[in-house]
Amino acid sequence: MKKLILMALFSSVVFAKVNVATTYQYLGEVVKAIGGEYVKVDVLANPKLDPHFIVPKPSYIGKLRREDLLIINGGQLEIGWLPPLLKSANNEKVNAGGDGFVDVSRVVHMIDKPKSVSRAYGDIHPDGNPHFATDIHSIIPIAKLIARKLESIDTEHKAIYKSNLKKFITKYKALINLLNKQMKSCKIHKVVQYHELFNYALHANGIKSVGNLEPLPGISPSSKHTLMLINLMKKENIKTILQDVYHEKKTAKFIADKTGAKISIVPHDVGATCEANTLENFYKSIAKQLCH
Amino acid sequence: MKRTILLSMAVSTLLLHAGDVQALEKRVTLLEEALRVSQDSKIDEAMSSKSNSFNQKAYIPDISLILNASAVNRNIDNSLYEGYGIDGFVDTTDEIAFNKNKGFNFNYAEFAMHSAVGPYFDADAIFHLSSDSFEIEEAYITTKKMPYNLQVKAGTFKSGFGRINTIHQHAQHFVSQPLVYEAMFGVEGIKDPGLSVNWVVPTDTYIMLGAEVLQGTNELSFGDSESLLYTGYVKGGFDLGDYTTALWGVSIAKGKTDTNKDSTVYGADFTLKQTIDSYSSVTWQSEYLYRDRDNVIQAGIYTQLLYDVNSNWEVGARYDALTKNSPTYADDLKKYSAIVQYKPFEFTKLRLQYTHDNSKIFNGERKSLNEFALEYVVEIGAHGAHAF
Repeated sequence: MKKLILMALFSSVVFAKVNVATTYQYLGEVVKAIGGEYVKVDVLANPKLDPHFIVPKPSYIGKLRREDLLIINGGQLEIGWLPPLLKSANNEKVNAGGDGFVDVSRVVHMIDKPKSVSRAYGDIHPDGNPHFATDIHSIIPIAKLIARKLESIDTEHKAIYKSNLKKFITKYKALINLLNKQMKSCKIHKVVQYHELFNYALHANGIKSVGNLEPLPGISPSSKHTLMLINLMKKENIKTILQDVYHEKKTAKFIADKTGAKISIVPHDVGATCEANTLENFYKSIAKQLCH
Repeated sequence: MKRTILLSMAVSTLLLHAGDVQALEKRVTLLEEALRVSQDSKIDEAMSSKSNSFNQKAYIPDISLILNASAVNRNIDNSLYEGYGIDGFVDTTDEIAFNKNKGFNFNYAEFAMHSAVGPYFDADAIFHLSSDSFEIEEAYITTKKMPYNLQVKAGTFKSGFGRINTIHQHAQHFVSQPLVYEAMFGVEGIKDPGLSVNWVVPTDTYIMLGAEVLQGTNELSFGDSESLLYTGYVKGGFDLGDYTTALWGVSIAKGKTDTNKDSTVYGADFTLKQTIDSYSSVTWQSEYLYRDRDNVIQAGIYTQLLYDVNSNWEVGARYDALTKNSPTYADDLKKYSAIVQYKPFEFTKLRLQYTHDNSKIFNGERKSLNEFALEYVVEIGAHGAHAF
């Protein structure tokens, strides 16, 4: 009998998983890869929606209330939707500054940091461009940080997290090499995009973003700006428009009609498009969409 | 032959090695020199400039300012509009907070501050400034490290009673409060010094329990100077698929009237939100309030439909009715509102509302009110996001 109780107790310890919430899908994929069966992952944001304006749902509060760990993208990407949810959930562990709060932007070298900040320039990100998820080079440091955090709060499975991280790094180093090779034959050197969403991926592959469909960050396209962009694209012979899944596509179609450019739907997160159904396929799909 | 090659190879590696060491030594010397220069320049700097050691700029709270101004046209003259009543609910209003004048109004400048006090508390303060008044709209502290995930709020604040009582005018979807709120609590709702405790149930489905003890200064429903007001509420929400959410709540507020009679208000609300995409959604929200004020039963309801067309445009309509009134008063009091809102940028709202209202009494006489209000609301500074 005693043995049975002990066994029951032991098994409950064995099966106590680390509860992790991530704001975006790609982070959830990394946590699953590192944590395996020892973590339970809740991803908050729907990858079909604008990552700046995730529609807050009451179920997020219920989840945040119980998590041990919250992993965010950071760089102010979540500022418009996460803080009120955290306040309502009132979970000391995962509040900013708590032991279970992880901001992965801290391990990424952020680009496009504005030299001067004013809302007159639109809804800019004062800490730099937070859309580093689109560059595969960001993912290894992020995985390292997540593994370290898991190791520190679940010391019992430290070795497993370490070995999973090792596997992850090997896999993604190989994928980086593969995609780098693939991108070398890319004939596209200049593009326009809707929002400065793909700058990291473009930067890594030596592709220049010449303009944006939105006149300023967070401002809807205007006819004046669109005409200016059309002229610019004709002048510079730009044939690619990078479009995300969540903005309106009318403007891109109009520009494509006038310039003969092609619209590429590029995923901004895992699950944004059917093709980007896993982390690996997400990066493969970005490489494919940037270059065809 | 072989030997000579080997020997020369050995010698050359040795030589190379020696050369490497020399190069390294040179680099170390250069680095040391650079370090010394930088230290020296730091000393020069310290000698010539003043210490910044007591600068506290990094601790400035989040500060924001909201401006609200309007142009109003209505069929009632200003002199008559001042001190309007609501048949059976309000004799005469003593203060019209928003859109008082036919013509132009500067409604308010709302000055808000938020910061962590330390590891244990957050502090919030919201001041309303208008041309002739300075008002503490809210000022409270919130706990961060209470046991069992309890959240305690203390200070003066808007009560968590009902669906919309905590939401400030600028964040509401219509220019004016629902009629039933205006009739039972006035345009500013239940706002009191006191204490509140909230607790989120640790389940996947969101359920929050709250209780408050307040001073009970709201004269329309309570107002006894010696008795406190007690409120309690349960709020919850659930997802119906990826794009549909429902929110519900039930509330109670129990206090004493200014003549020391029992007064209790019950509330029930339900909201359904269908998200279409990131910038487009349809929200249907309804709320029912029921009041037993010294055995006089009164009740009212509003139901509203809002359509966020895209990131720039929102349209909405609301139906208001006071469904139960004291026997000697009218029970057909209704208000209809329609609104169009244009939002060129996140922190800029322009809204035009049409209102038809037959619940108001002007100088003892019930008259239909027709009104157009064009209002702008802008936010500057660091203003936190709003909850759903």
